[in-house]
Amino acid sequence: MTIKALPLRQKFFTPNVFLLLFFMGAGAVFAFFRFFYGFGSVTNLSKAYPFGLWIAFDVACGVALAAGGFTTAAIVEIFGRHKYHPLVRPAILTAFIGYFLVGLAVFFDLGKYYNIWHALIYWNGTSVLFEVAWCVMLYLTVLGIENLPNVVEQFKDNVHLPGRLARLNRPANWLLHRLDWFCGKTMAFFVIAGVVLSFGHQSSLGTMMLIAPYKLHELWYTPLSPLLFLTSAVSVGIPMVIFEGTLAAKFFGRRPETELLSGIAKYVPLFLGTYLLLRLGDLAYRGVLASAFDGSLQGNAFLLEFALFAVPYFLLKRRSIRRDPTLLFLCALSVILAVVLNRFNVFLIGMNMGPGWSYFPSVGEWGVTFAFLAFGVLLYKIGVNYLPILEAEHE
Amino acid sequence: MDLSRRKFLKLGAVAGGSAVCNLARPAAAREMPDIDPDWYGMLNDSTRCIGCKACMVACKKENKLPPESTLGDAATFGAPLYDSPRELSEQTYTLIQLHRDEKTGAATFVKRQCMHCADAACQSACIVGALKKQKNGAVKYDAGMCMGCRYCMVACPFNVPQFEWHAALPSIRKCTLCSETRLEKGEATACASACPAGAITFGKRSELLKIARARIAAEPERYLDQVYGENEVGGTCVLYLTRKDVAFAGLGLQPFGYKPVSDLTESIQHRIFQYFIPPIAVYGVLGGIMFYNQNRKRKAGTEGGDDDY
Repeated sequence: MTIKALPLRQKFFTPNVFLLLFFMGAGAVFAFFRFFYGFGSVTNLSKAYPFGLWIAFDVACGVALAAGGFTTAAIVEIFGRHKYHPLVRPAILTAFIGYFLVGLAVFFDLGKYYNIWHALIYWNGTSVLFEVAWCVMLYLTVLGIENLPNVVEQFKDNVHLPGRLARLNRPANWLLHRLDWFCGKTMAFFVIAGVVLSFGHQSSLGTMMLIAPYKLHELWYTPLSPLLFLTSAVSVGIPMVIFEGTLAAKFFGRRPETELLSGIAKYVPLFLGTYLLLRLGDLAYRGVLASAFDGSLQGNAFLLEFALFAVPYFLLKRRSIRRDPTLLFLCALSVILAVVLNRFNVFLIGMNMGPGWSYFPSVGEWGVTFAFLAFGVLLYKIGVNYLPILEAEHE
Repeated sequence: MDLSRRKFLKLGAVAGGSAVCNLARPAAAREMPDIDPDWYGMLNDSTRCIGCKACMVACKKENKLPPESTLGDAATFGAPLYDSPRELSEQTYTLIQLHRDEKTGAATFVKRQCMHCADAACQSACIVGALKKQKNGAVKYDAGMCMGCRYCMVACPFNVPQFEWHAALPSIRKCTLCSETRLEKGEATACASACPAGAITFGKRSELLKIARARIAAEPERYLDQVYGENEVGGTCVLYLTRKDVAFAGLGLQPFGYKPVSDLTESIQHRIFQYFIPPIAVYGVLGGIMFYNQNRKRKAGTEGGDDDY
């Protein structure tokens, strides 16, 4: 590639950063109560809704929205569309941050968080969660390795630790050289491993709620759920890249990469079409389409979810719309909201644990979730500011 | 080569797609769970229960659980009021609920507790295996292994496992079938021992079924000809009898199917990871495509220069 990725090296403490820190601080306060006074002091969780916003959004949506990493890696590295190479590093970084936060969110949501390592030693192969946990751990490791070249590139032969730490310069440099060699030799292996792990992981999340046949609404209780989760995650991969790319350009004062983004957007209808075909086929085959129109909360939630998927499918087929940065961004946003709503529907809205119980996330739950989002944005900012993630602007 | 790159990619996509479709299709239903005739259990005869709640008291004593008042706590009244739970909770392992028939107005008392399923959904769901079916029939919970993920609560069709929402370091709580405290000493469960009306019969599941059948046969005009738990969700160790004119659904015992609820998830999991062949196959296909593309680029001698899709 002729154009090199470079750290942005912009001023770090902008007003936006203080806003992010504020959200994180608020989340930390709620987290304090959750850890020292129990879930009951912060959340609206109950025996009927043991999974709430933290699982539905921080974990289920977090994983799906990190799909930009493996879809971009697959398109560029495996299917050889090297034109889109500038999009790979930001996508992989975002996926790493996303999975890191998923891990952190799980830690918040586990009652006995100090036993989290038990997943490593006590194996229960019949549990869907067991598979989910291993894929998160392995894929997070793979994403870490995939991000190593950025660190190596930035600091190789360029380690200048201050004062007493200076004696570590040589060993650090030696280590970076070894890592460089290691990455160069093995990256292909990890790129494919990342895609395979994502396949397994995304689909397993779709299997999770299938253990509750008498609780999950028929619109979402389908043996095809793993495949639907996988295809919808693939569909949201590129829209996430578009979403982040557009916002990053805006907030870092860079020229938007409209040409690249509208170029890669042409694959989205392909994925969305596959998903919609499977979804409709499944509903029709199981004969449950009627319950989408019964006016219930679940039926309406499904209709909204479906519209958010279907509208960008038709719009993004048109070249003129893909070339319009605003419409492109809105289409990407629609797909993202569709996937978020779909995960909410499966994990919360479509779950009926019996009469007399309802759930709406508490202020504390929202607070912690916003804190995670803020932390993610902050990590992204740190990443692009000090590591070569974004390519220097064209022309 | 007449196989153009485009065609190759299309073929690859079709092959990969059908492989994935194949994975997602559930395998044939698993075999029904083996039911051990030596498993212990309880037969709850709702036609005999008088609603005295002696079983609830005995359970609280046995498990050293605090009373739970829905009227107000010690802080409100200056003294703790007696036990009046409305639902199973982390402080209430068993509960007597009153159900009134809409037509006849007849009251029926029903005892709720862990059903100690033959193929327990919680055991299938638990990520670390903290919930396990024991040789004596009890589904036992191990707080030391548990991670507190609450997936067992999602999985249980009877909504039995309860979480300590107000503890800093919470555990799951539920009926133990007095497995450690009494069964090992050869004693019956605390609730069954306390029942003054003979509504709770403790014993081996196989024998309880015989007793239930005998009661139905002896008084066919009194009992509905069905033993709840014999087949529901693959069979449970706690069984129920009901009046002829009161359906189990009217007692809050839902008409579940005969398959274990974990049937679909376990079939899918098994299919996706069968001998690890499917993941390795996907890996191989993707690796092949990557190798093909890189090789083609190397031959062309260019790094960039995509042909457009």
